[in-house]
Amino acid sequence: MSLTSNTAHRLIAILVSPILFAGCSDRGDSSFVYSDRTLSLMNEAQTGFKDVKGVRELVDERFGNPQTLVAWQKLPVDFGGIACSVATTPDASAAVKSLQFEFAEGNSVPEKVSSLQFVTGACSGETAAVLKWDAATGTATLVSALQNAPAQGDQVTFDGGSTLKNGRMLYQRHCSHCHGTSGDGNGPTAQYLYPRPRDYRHGVFKFTSTNDTSKASRNDLTRIVKQGIPGTYMPSFLLLNDSDIHAIVEYVRFLAMRGEFERKTASSLASSFSRDAVTSRVKEGEKRAEIVEELKAFIGADLKDELGFISDELAETWSVAQTEEALVTPKIPRVADTIESRRRGRELYLSKTLNCANCHGISGRGDGPQTTDFEKNPVTNELYPEPGLHDVWDNLNQPRNLVYGIYRGGRRPIDLFARIHAGIKGSRMPSFKNVEHEDIWHIVNYVLSVPYEVEPGASASSQAAAPAAAAASL
Amino acid sequence: MKKFWALFFYFWPIVALYFCWIAPESNWWFPGEAMSPMGVRIESLFYLILWIVAIVFIGTQAALGYALWKSAARDEGQKAWYSHGSHSLELIWTIVPAFVLVFIALYQMDVWAEYRVQSFYPDSTREEGSVAELAARQFEWRIRYPAPGKKLSDEPESDDLYWVNELHVPTGRPVKINLRTQDVQHAFFSPQLRLKQDAVPGLIIPVWFEIPEAGEYDIVCAELCGWGHYKMRAKIVAESEAAYKAYLNRLQDEQNEDGYKAAEEETN
Repeated sequence: MSLTSNTAHRLIAILVSPILFAGCSDRGDSSFVYSDRTLSLMNEAQTGFKDVKGVRELVDERFGNPQTLVAWQKLPVDFGGIACSVATTPDASAAVKSLQFEFAEGNSVPEKVSSLQFVTGACSGETAAVLKWDAATGTATLVSALQNAPAQGDQVTFDGGSTLKNGRMLYQRHCSHCHGTSGDGNGPTAQYLYPRPRDYRHGVFKFTSTNDTSKASRNDLTRIVKQGIPGTYMPSFLLLNDSDIHAIVEYVRFLAMRGEFERKTASSLASSFSRDAVTSRVKEGEKRAEIVEELKAFIGADLKDELGFISDELAETWSVAQTEEALVTPKIPRVADTIESRRRGRELYLSKTLNCANCHGISGRGDGPQTTDFEKNPVTNELYPEPGLHDVWDNLNQPRNLVYGIYRGGRRPIDLFARIHAGIKGSRMPSFKNVEHEDIWHIVNYVLSVPYEVEPGASASSQAAAPAAAAASL
Repeated sequence: MKKFWALFFYFWPIVALYFCWIAPESNWWFPGEAMSPMGVRIESLFYLILWIVAIVFIGTQAALGYALWKSAARDEGQKAWYSHGSHSLELIWTIVPAFVLVFIALYQMDVWAEYRVQSFYPDSTREEGSVAELAARQFEWRIRYPAPGKKLSDEPESDDLYWVNELHVPTGRPVKINLRTQDVQHAFFSPQLRLKQDAVPGLIIPVWFEIPEAGEYDIVCAELCGWGHYKMRAKIVAESEAAYKAYLNRLQDEQNEDGYKAAEEETN
């Protein structure tokens, strides 16, 4: 019976597979799009000259495209792969087709290897496909012989970029239809969503556990991917396994860094060489040919230094976000959640110095007077067409309605503490890091009580509930 | 040639029956055996109906094949014969199915009542109330538990515990959950438990089930709810009473996390 059912199974599979899988292939034509800022530059700045690279190429050679990702080692991204070194210098007289490797202590020997990349030595930069891998002796037989002979101690990465590649695959499947292939928050389904999906290219994420000047940490992104963001369209991906979530997080960080690099590079050219700048310069009497020469000289000399700063800053800021020092850490434990604490929180909430009510409203409904004012766009210096608060992505933001009890960045006391201490990055929620930690805890206690009672101690039931809540928090 | 067509049309019901026959062995059938007592009863109802329709199907196909074959054997020149109904035949094929339907309707009534009618739910679930609220949302399942030792209320309480896409329940006793939706219609479907219930905007629908064996069971959305419908996968984690209580305590600790690190921890 099992034989017949197997045959039947196969028969059906053969009949059905062309229909099932038509149109489901991993299409090879996706590419990263350039930001509006890049596209606003004069053509020569975008495409460069024969011997001088333009912004497009500067970005592409560091980050590649979805099908040809580049692992720029400068970035603090876990691209994946296992580091090892050549164990013995092979006989140089014959073509090298087989190599023995050794692994640093603590690195596990892989079961399977499909490719290896030389990081240092004569073959540095070369990638070789592996035909056979013998884990017992650590010997790899290559598909084709190497051009140059590697020497003992040369650094090699096995299956480099495997995490990033896996991240790309998962990102395309789960994330890109909202967040876009390039992480620009503009995938096909994005236009139907409010709030809009995050555009990573500023390198800014709103809900973090890090202090006000730090980037998001891996843990922050992992938390968001696992738990989703209630109150938005970001769903939970809790059922993905940890290594897949790690790959997605690394890929998102990679996209954020790509966007930030592109943005900053284009910005350094924008003031003098954007289309608008060139038009007005020509109007003022400069010749276009002269501007092009100036651009050529600028990209050749000044921009090189600038790129150095930009990439150093990228590497630095994203690494720092991983450190313990970057975390928002309360100096004192949460203050007991009593009526008195909540009252004190409400006082602070309404106080002139903190002025929470200016945006969140006197009754916490997110309807403070600031929400009806017209704001100036800090970049263009023009008034926004609609009243209200805007974030760095130019999206209209509603200050959180605290009555709903939906906390996008998490509902743990530490989450609210971090939101107040570090602010919400990219939004108009400022950092209150200079406020005493005890006072922040009073506000946290108050904010957590708003959904049940706007005026602490006003209703009889709270008198009974508060001691219980206080006991639970101790 | 006429016989070829008779055989051709007769071939397909045989193929259909063949595949139905091998389906259970090839795992094209149910997702494993029913993992809840109610699931077993629902499955037996399903099989009852399957047997009835299988008999009807085979009977009609046999009659159809007989008619095809017999007609194919006739001479070309023979004149067609038109019938114009038969009163007794019509009575038979009306009354027999009517009896079958009435039989099914009566036979399944107690299962249906216990499955769907709140006053017939197990007494313990009515006394205990719901252990959790499962709120479907495009495209995830948000879960709210009452604080350990408290009862779930319809409106959120300040000490409720929240999680997403992973519902923990104790094994070995009937538990009830409140099913809601925060936006459009969804359907709570757990294939292994043979349990399916729509979540309707504005309604709180109590759903009960019992899982004897600890383990993980799928939750999927069974109502096309939008473009991300396929993403709405979650799981039920059934565990012993002690493990379940420990889980809720852990969740409570996590939710009360204040990020404070005591000084002695730092020096360690």
